Parts: sequence; C-alpha cells; structure tokens
Amino acid sequence: MLRPEQVEEAVKTGGSTRRPDDRITPRFKTGDAVRVRNRNPTGHTRLARYTRGKRGVIHHDHGVFIFPDTNAHGRGEKPQHVYSVRFEAAELWGEPTSLRDAVYIDLWEDYLEPA
Amino acid sequence: MSTQHHNAPESEPALRVKALESLLVEKGLVDPQTLDLLVDAYENKVGPKNGAKVVARAWVDPAYKARLLSNGTAAIAELGFSGMQGEDMVVVENTPTVHNLIVCTLCSCYPWPTLGLPPVWYKSAPYRSRAVSDPRGLLKEFGLDIAPEVEIRVWDSSAEVRYMVLPEHPKGTEHMSEAELAELVTRDSMIGVAKVTVGSKARS
Repeated sequence: MLRPEQVEEAVKTGGSTRRPDDRITPRFKTGDAVRVRNRNPTGHTRLARYTRGKRGVIHHDHGVFIFPDTNAHGRGEKPQHVYSVRFEAAELWGEPTSLRDAVYIDLWEDYLEPA
Repeated sequence: MSTQHHNAPESEPALRVKALESLLVEKGLVDPQTLDLLVDAYENKVGPKNGAKVVARAWVDPAYKARLLSNGTAAIAELGFSGMQGEDMVVVENTPTVHNLIVCTLCSCYPWPTLGLPPVWYKSAPYRSRAVSDPRGLLKEFGLDIAPEVEIRVWDSSAEVRYMVLPEHPKGTEHMSEAELAELVTRDSMIGVAKVTVGSKARS
C-alpha cells in the first residue's frame, strides 16, 4: 500500500516497466514489414483489435519492456522488444478519409510476425 | 468540478468510485491520506504548464529541441519533470507537412508529468475510436482544419511509452521571451487537437 510519505517520491520517480537487457536481441529492425498476429486472447492483452492481421512497417525499436499479457496473470515478466509500427490508413480502414494519414502503435514483439 | 445542486443525485460513475474507495480503504488497501495527496499533486502541482515550458524551451533552443526529439525522457527531466506515467517519453514534432495526434484507444494513457491528468473527452469512446479511424473529421470538430497535403500521424499509446506533441512555433512571436511563449502553449496543442497561435492562451 502506498503510504502518504511515499507519494512525493512515487509521483516524481514513477515505475518504469523497462527491462534493459542487451542479451535480448530484437527480431525486427526499422523498415521491416510486419504483420500483426490474429490473436484474440481471453485474458489481458494490449494488442489493439483494429491492428490484428494488418500489415505495417517497423518505425522504431523502443527497447525491452515487461510483457503485460503474461505479467498481468502472474505468468512472468517475459521481457521483450516493443516496436512503434506504422500502419497506413488504407490498410487499417479500407477507404479512409485521407490516404495520406497513418497510425503509429506500440506493439510487443510477441504480437508480430514477418510480413 | 461541476456545479451540482445539493439535492441532485450523483452520477453513477461518481457513486461507484465512492463505493470502491470505501471498500479499498476498509480493506486496508488504500490509505485515504495518500489519495488526498495524489489528487492534490495532479490538481494543483502537476499540469500542462510543465509541458508548455518544455515546448517553449525547444522553440528558443535548437540544441534542446534536438535532444528532446532524440530522447524525450532525458530532455524533459532536464527541466525537472519526470515520474509516473512519463517514465518513457517520446516527443513528436509538428511541421508544415506533418501533424501529430495522440490517443490511447485501449484506455486513457497520457503523459502525466508534462500534461497532468487527461481531460474527460480524451478518455471518451468517441475520441478514442475516431482519433485512429478518422483523425481529419475529429480535428475538424475541434476547429482544426488540416490541409489535404499534410500527413496526419496518430500515435496510439498502447504500451509503456507516453507521447507529447511539440507544436509548431507560431509566426508573429519572434519578439517573445521563453516565459511569454510558454504562456501561449495550450494543453490541447500538446495532444494535437489544436495549434498554437499568437492569440492562444494556456488556461491553467
């Protein structure tokens, strides 16, 4: 339980879920084409439904973070790379308002496969 | 807070929050004094004035701006802002050819150390769904018309990184000091639903 005297420090420091580890090599790099796995788990996930099965391009590797799908259920941190992935509006929505637009979403490596 | 008559019933969410709070306190899981301190922190101490200072600094100092865009967390911490829901920051820059918009479709993730707590509309289902599926239509409703040749990039804060927009430095402000510039930077411009103009005024 967070105590009153801990609040100031907690607000200032927060609690990063980053787990820097050079031994965990990234599977993907900037520019790689990837497809989001069509995963529909009954438990916790941060795999946004609108990206499932869609094809995108790796924009950036944010580094290694705790994996919420396992961690939230007490099944371990399973740290892995999280990527910013760019999806064209047409890929996501079919006939978007503008073909010029894109969505960048952050996805854990387990959510992705090569396209 | 909203003006409510004393005899008007409280909204359902407010009642549920009160019930949850009582239960958690009763079970010794939450200290009510801690809650008061947290509310005080995010109502009175931490807010968009922080982000405005970051933006103004980036506008006047090109080296700072470069640091901000390459390592947001470290550059924001240089000005003394860090912590809860801002442990890993990425700042995205608006330019004449790119306009950025921040959303959390899954919940309401938001960069607390620089912007404070999110506005109610940011947490609403319509914002969260339309920001990704029809950003142009949504921005039009906010009074912002984005030219067809400008690319809109929507950043969905689906993991641990928190995003903030670095709005374009408005014309007609070249004579202003860093502090005066910070007064122009609105919360909405750092989310991406507004631009900063020489007539803007940050509310709080």
